[in-house]
Amino acid sequence: MIDDIAFWFGYLTNGKHLTWYASFQFTIFAALMGGTLAVVFGLAGATMKNSRFFPLRLLGTIYSSIVRGVPDVLFFLFFPLAFEQGVEWLISTQVCSPAAIAAQTAAWPPCKEANWFLGTTEYLILASVSLGLVYGAFASNVIHGALRSVPAGQLEAARAYGMSPRQVLWRIHIRQMWVYALPGLSNVWMLIIKATSLLSLLQIADIVLWADRLGAPNFLPAVGLVHEDWRWRYYLVLFVFYILVTWLSERAFEAIMRRAGRGMLSEART
Amino acid sequence: MQGFLNDLAIMAPAVMFNIYFAAASIPIGFVLAIFLALGKASPNPVINRLTRGYIYAFRGSPLFIQFFMFYSLALSLNIALWKPWGISGFVLHPLFMGPLVLILNTAAYTAEIFYGALRAVPRGEVEAARAFGMSPRQQFRHVVWPNLIRLAWPAYTNEVVFLFHATAIVYFALPVIGAQADLMITAKTLVEGDYNAFLHFSVAALYFLTVSLVIFFLFGLVYRRLIRHLPTQPRLRFAPRWLR
Repeated sequence: MIDDIAFWFGYLTNGKHLTWYASFQFTIFAALMGGTLAVVFGLAGATMKNSRFFPLRLLGTIYSSIVRGVPDVLFFLFFPLAFEQGVEWLISTQVCSPAAIAAQTAAWPPCKEANWFLGTTEYLILASVSLGLVYGAFASNVIHGALRSVPAGQLEAARAYGMSPRQVLWRIHIRQMWVYALPGLSNVWMLIIKATSLLSLLQIADIVLWADRLGAPNFLPAVGLVHEDWRWRYYLVLFVFYILVTWLSERAFEAIMRRAGRGMLSEART
Repeated sequence: MQGFLNDLAIMAPAVMFNIYFAAASIPIGFVLAIFLALGKASPNPVINRLTRGYIYAFRGSPLFIQFFMFYSLALSLNIALWKPWGISGFVLHPLFMGPLVLILNTAAYTAEIFYGALRAVPRGEVEAARAFGMSPRQQFRHVVWPNLIRLAWPAYTNEVVFLFHATAIVYFALPVIGAQADLMITAKTLVEGDYNAFLHFSVAALYFLTVSLVIFFLFGLVYRRLIRHLPTQPRLRFAPRWLR
């Protein structure tokens, strides 16, 4: 009995498992950063959609509806790659000599000096930005709808007090909007949490990649087969982890909505 | 331009895999979702808890993890079950595993939509049906179901499009066998060849966009038929109002 506990304690705290536990930071960072950026891009998109200048309005509408037709994974793979290539192209216009370009045999980068190596940190930031871009489009729809459901009387009252349009927007409109946007934003947040499982597609050694490595049949020449294919157990742990995170977020959003909606009539909060 | 046309031709067979995954999982997921929704509304505590738990678990976890989990589960049962039965090649094939996991996933999402619609069915109509002496089965068939499907249809359309988009990650989790590659894998392979991310991913996106629009169009036709008796016709909006 004691031996069993000692064995499992030792097994679950060996170096590889500790690395696995540490890799949860990537997932959490991507979720938080992606969520923040999604709100920022959402606000920008909603403002563009409300703009009186037609090209801006068109751009906002295209941005917020493109996610309807194209899957998030595609953006998730495309954006970091496109950004990397864009930077490499910019570098190449500065550092590449014609001779170096002529000497380059591979299709990309234009010359060897223009190569930009991306590590985990860079990929993580790019992944968060692409999460923000994709889910910002959802958020911009939510925020656009919320901006329209702020009672017109409140804006009129603000204008009657002599506030400039900018003051009305920032002091009244956007602050009153959150109550209406929160239910939709909580849905967007759930989508972002679930999308963080895709980080391993960008060569980030995240929880999914480690679960795969740890669960794969483990064979040591000295000991023989340590354990057979345990992958499904590790994935089951992740499955439960994500359900727990969803549950926690639901509770948190309920608390925030209760707080944001205090003093308001209950039907305004749906 | 030549590269664009080339890509269109290369990806035409690839999009069939995405369509296959969606088409294989939507009908079965639809039927399963009806039972799950009824189970969630059922007064029986055991059925109620089970269906609630199922729907919560599958809506609360990423599809990507579900793919890995079920595939590795199937792999670990290979020697005990599939091999002796002689069906391991069939069960472990992505063309079987993919739709299986997609069905489990979409059934949960669809059940939530149907459950919401079920609660929105007008009380008075059900009472009227009971007053006419209809059996529970007749009530469901003639009163609840027509209301339910009409109320749920716009959100269900959205779910079908999301499911089609979700087929993009099937082959990131399951092994690619031979030339059986879907849009994303084809695009990724092409990009790894000549680093032209803008061209290849745009063509893949164009295919996804086209099929999504076709789905919207077809489901819009069905919706027009479902609401043809209503005096004021609500329109199916293509704005992303519904989230998954």
